[in-house]
Amino acid sequence: MDRAVISRDAARDELSAMLRSIVAKDAAALKTLYERTSAKLYGICLSLLRDEAEAQDVVQELYVTVWNKAALFDPGKASPITWLATLARNRSIDRLRSRRGTGAAEELDSALAVPDERPSSFEVLEQAEERERLRHCLEELEEGTRSAIRAAFFEGTTYPQLAEQSGVPLPTMKSRIRRGLMRLRGCLGQ
Amino acid sequence: MSRDRDPTAAEYALRLLTGDELREADKRLEGDPEFAREVARWRGRLAPLHQEVEGVSPPAPLWERIAAGIGTALPANDNLAQLRRRVRVWRVVAGTMTAIAASLAVAFLAVPKTTVVPGPPVERAAGAPMVAMLGDEKAIKVVASWDPGPRQLVLAVAGDMPADPVHSHELWVIPAGGKPRSLGIMGSRKQMHMRLADELATLLQQGATIAVSIEPRGGSPTGKPTGPVVASGALRPA
Repeated sequence: MDRAVISRDAARDELSAMLRSIVAKDAAALKTLYERTSAKLYGICLSLLRDEAEAQDVVQELYVTVWNKAALFDPGKASPITWLATLARNRSIDRLRSRRGTGAAEELDSALAVPDERPSSFEVLEQAEERERLRHCLEELEEGTRSAIRAAFFEGTTYPQLAEQSGVPLPTMKSRIRRGLMRLRGCLGQ
Repeated sequence: MSRDRDPTAAEYALRLLTGDELREADKRLEGDPEFAREVARWRGRLAPLHQEVEGVSPPAPLWERIAAGIGTALPANDNLAQLRRRVRVWRVVAGTMTAIAASLAVAFLAVPKTTVVPGPPVERAAGAPMVAMLGDEKAIKVVASWDPGPRQLVLAVAGDMPADPVHSHELWVIPAGGKPRSLGIMGSRKQMHMRLADELATLLQQGATIAVSIEPRGGSPTGKPTGPVVASGALRPA
């Protein structure tokens, strides 16, 4: 049997079980969780922060938070992977914003950004169907709206920044994106 | 604004909001469960985008920093309550099993695939009995009790472990920071006893994880878990 055939539910159960062991202060479970998820979470932090030292700080804080707060994970609300990725994204964005306009992000030192080749839970979870549907529904939006939503997701861009970048008044940008998000939800049918 | 037309949860999940709007939404997240659920749904809707971000291995010392970070955060009082609860459950199970054990033949014998004993025997105090509650997020499925003296591992299947003709349940021990080692294939009985080879017995220390994975019939072809883990738990003093 190949790891790739592990179903999404099984991978989800496995990570949920790790989180539950972490609630019981099982340090080995945290180590396993780290081995399975750190490359993806570090990738998310790096792509937002574009700074290795800061991304490492965020990843460190994140796993210490998981150690202390794993009990807050609610499997009824989110998949473990989405929960962890959201934590990584939100914390990186918080840190981006606390920089308070210290200028443009610097380019990554490409020599140090070694792509990870270990199988991770994220690859196991990769669901072509879901990704394809989201891609399709984003394609349905106007180009400007789509790229604004993507910028918000991948760069942590706020409404005022998006308005400034596109040279449109803030209320215009807001209503454009709100319309886009509601259309997106209609298209995803959830 | 009706919920269906309210984009705030989506804006919040994307982190578009700033200033007062952000603070207001933060408050709403605390006090409005339906809003919190819709935020979670939006995070799920957008989650496939995370797949576009490439994974990057963090430098090795990062784990050391995390380990140091949690070292200062060790036992909180609620762990004690949790442990007491586990022991209470265990005592009930153990009581039942003691009665059964007398009449039970060895139902489950794990034969390690290799029986190489490395180096001279290491002197090792026979430690205290330990217990691991193996489960998933819904329930405890198996209770494993380990007696280091006779090197005996007793398993009681407490929850739902459906068998099928093409797969086996394989039992593993994962030492803290180590690699999984097979302890054997689980049969279909509700109670199983196994006596471990000394080499495997040394791996059953406090903090080691005991896990059950689903493997092709007869066990993992690679010697490592290849299928989903359906139950796992850490060894603790009984």
